[in-house]
Amino acid sequence: MIDRPAAEREPGSYRDPSGFVFRRDGVLYRQVNAVFADDWAAFESSGLHAALVAAGVLIADHPVPVDLASEAGAVTVIRPDEIEFISHPFEWSFSQLKDAALLTLRAQAMAEEHGMTLRDASAYNVQFHRARPILIDTLSFERERAGEPWKPYRQFCEHFLAPLALMAHRDGRMGQLLRTWFDGIPLDLASELLPRRTRFSPGLAAHVHLHARAQRRHAGDTDASTRTAPKSVTMSDSRRKALLDHLRRTVEGLHLPAHGTQWADYADQTSYSAAGTASKEAIVQRMLEAVAAEGGRQAWDVGANTGRYSAIAAAAGFEVIAVDGDWAAVERDYLALRAAGETRIMPLLADIADPPPGIGWANTERASLLQRANADVALSLALVHHLAIGRNVPLPMIAELHARLVPHVIIEWVPREDTMVQHLLSAREDVFPGYTLEGFRAAFEARFEIVEEAPIEDSRRVLFHMRRRD
Amino acid sequence: MRLVFAYIDPGAGSLIIQALIAAVVSVPFFFRNAIRSTIGRLRRRPSGGPGGASGSITPEDSGATPTDAE
Repeated sequence: MIDRPAAEREPGSYRDPSGFVFRRDGVLYRQVNAVFADDWAAFESSGLHAALVAAGVLIADHPVPVDLASEAGAVTVIRPDEIEFISHPFEWSFSQLKDAALLTLRAQAMAEEHGMTLRDASAYNVQFHRARPILIDTLSFERERAGEPWKPYRQFCEHFLAPLALMAHRDGRMGQLLRTWFDGIPLDLASELLPRRTRFSPGLAAHVHLHARAQRRHAGDTDASTRTAPKSVTMSDSRRKALLDHLRRTVEGLHLPAHGTQWADYADQTSYSAAGTASKEAIVQRMLEAVAAEGGRQAWDVGANTGRYSAIAAAAGFEVIAVDGDWAAVERDYLALRAAGETRIMPLLADIADPPPGIGWANTERASLLQRANADVALSLALVHHLAIGRNVPLPMIAELHARLVPHVIIEWVPREDTMVQHLLSAREDVFPGYTLEGFRAAFEARFEIVEEAPIEDSRRVLFHMRRRD
Repeated sequence: MRLVFAYIDPGAGSLIIQALIAAVVSVPFFFRNAIRSTIGRLRRRPSGGPGGASGSITPEDSGATPTDAE
C-alpha cells in the first residue's frame, strides 16, 4: 500500500454511519461506507446526483481512488468542492436561514422525482457557496420506501421552522437561540415563546404547536406502551407530498416585520462630507489593491453595516465575508446582495466583541469563529471606537485580536473629537485617557508594521494599512 | 409491520403527528391541484399550444428541476 499522509476525521462528522468527512494532507474527502452502498448506487443511477449538482442544489464532487479512504469499510471516496468559508446557522440572518430551508425542501422535491428522499434536514447540511445556499452533505439521500413518513420532519421543524417562526413573529434576535440549541430549537420552547396569535396560523399551529404537544404526549412511549407504534406509522406518497407542500408554504409565508434597528439605519448617520466619503473610498481601494498585489484573496469586512466597503473589496477581486453584529443590518445586506445577484460577498451575523465559540461535542464539533477565520485582510472601518469606547476594550487587546485574525488590516482611526465618538460618550464618563492616535499607533505597532497611513480628506479620521509582524 | 430506518431520531410524536397533519392538508392540496390542472387544460385547449406534461399532480414550483425530462 502506498504511504499516504494521515487522515483526520472532521470533528462534526460522527453521527451518520453511512459515511463521514475527513481531511488528508489538507484536502477534504468524504468516505461512503459499505452499509450505504445500495443507496449510494441508487443516488448515482437515478440521475439525482447529477441533477442536484447541475441545478446548484448540491455541492459538486469528484471521484477519487477508494484507497484514499480514511477507515475500513469504504466503498467509495469522493472529493467535494470546498466551501470558501464555513458558517453556522446562528450566523445567518432571517432570509439566509429561510433560503436554506427552502433549498432543503427543493432538494426533497427533486429527490422524490428520482424515487429518492432526504434522510436528514439539518441546517448544518447547508452552507453558503458564492453567497447562495447549497447542500454540502452528499450522503443525505436514500431510496424512498413506499409508505414511509418523512423522517426528517422533526429535524426540519427544529432546525428551520421554529427559529424562522420565532424571528418572524417574536423578534429578529431569536435566531440566536440556535447558538444554545445548535441541534434545533425544542418545539415546546418555540411553542411557548411564540405569540398566541400564531396558534391561529394553520402552518405554525400544525407544525410547531400541535407538533410540540404530540412530542410531549409521546415522550415516554415504548413500542409496547402505545396503540400507534411510532415505528409503524405509514403515509402514502401523495400525503407526504401534501405535507411537504404545506411545510413549504408555511416557510414561504414567514416574513420579518418591516422595521429597522439602530444599525440598519446607521448608514446615513456617518459624520462624513461627500468629499470625505470619496476620499475614504479611494484610500480603502488603494490599500486593498496593495493587499491583493501581495496575493490576498479573502477579506473580512468587520462591522460591514450596509456593505459599502464590502462592495469595494469585491470589486478589488476579494471574496468578502461581511461581518456585522446587528441582525437587521445583515438581513438588509443579504437581501440587497441577493437582489443584485452578487456572489462574492457573504453577509455574516457575528459580534466581533463576542465571536461565536466552539460548540457541540467536546467544543470542537462546530468550530469557533476565530478558528474559521481564513481572511488575508480585515477591513475594520469605523469600528475601533465602538470596541474601545462602546465596549471598553483596551486598544492593545483590539490590536491583538486583529493579529490573531489576519495578516493585513485596513483600519480606521476615529479620534475623540469625532461626532460619532462624542455620541458614544454623551451619556457616560470619559474613562478612556489612552484613546489617542499615539496610543492607537503604539498598540498596533506592537504586532503590525504600518505600510501606509493616510488621513481622510475633510475629516480628522486616519486610515492605516498594516502588515502583521510574523 | 414496517420499521422506520433512520440514523436520526425521527421522534415518536413527530411521526404520529405528521401522519395526522398530512391527512388533513392533503385535502386542500389535491383540491388545489385539481383546479390548477383543470385551468391548465382549459387554457391549453383554445390556444392549441404545445402539449407537454399535462395532468401531473405535482405542483409547479421553483423546485422543479430544469434537467428533469419526464
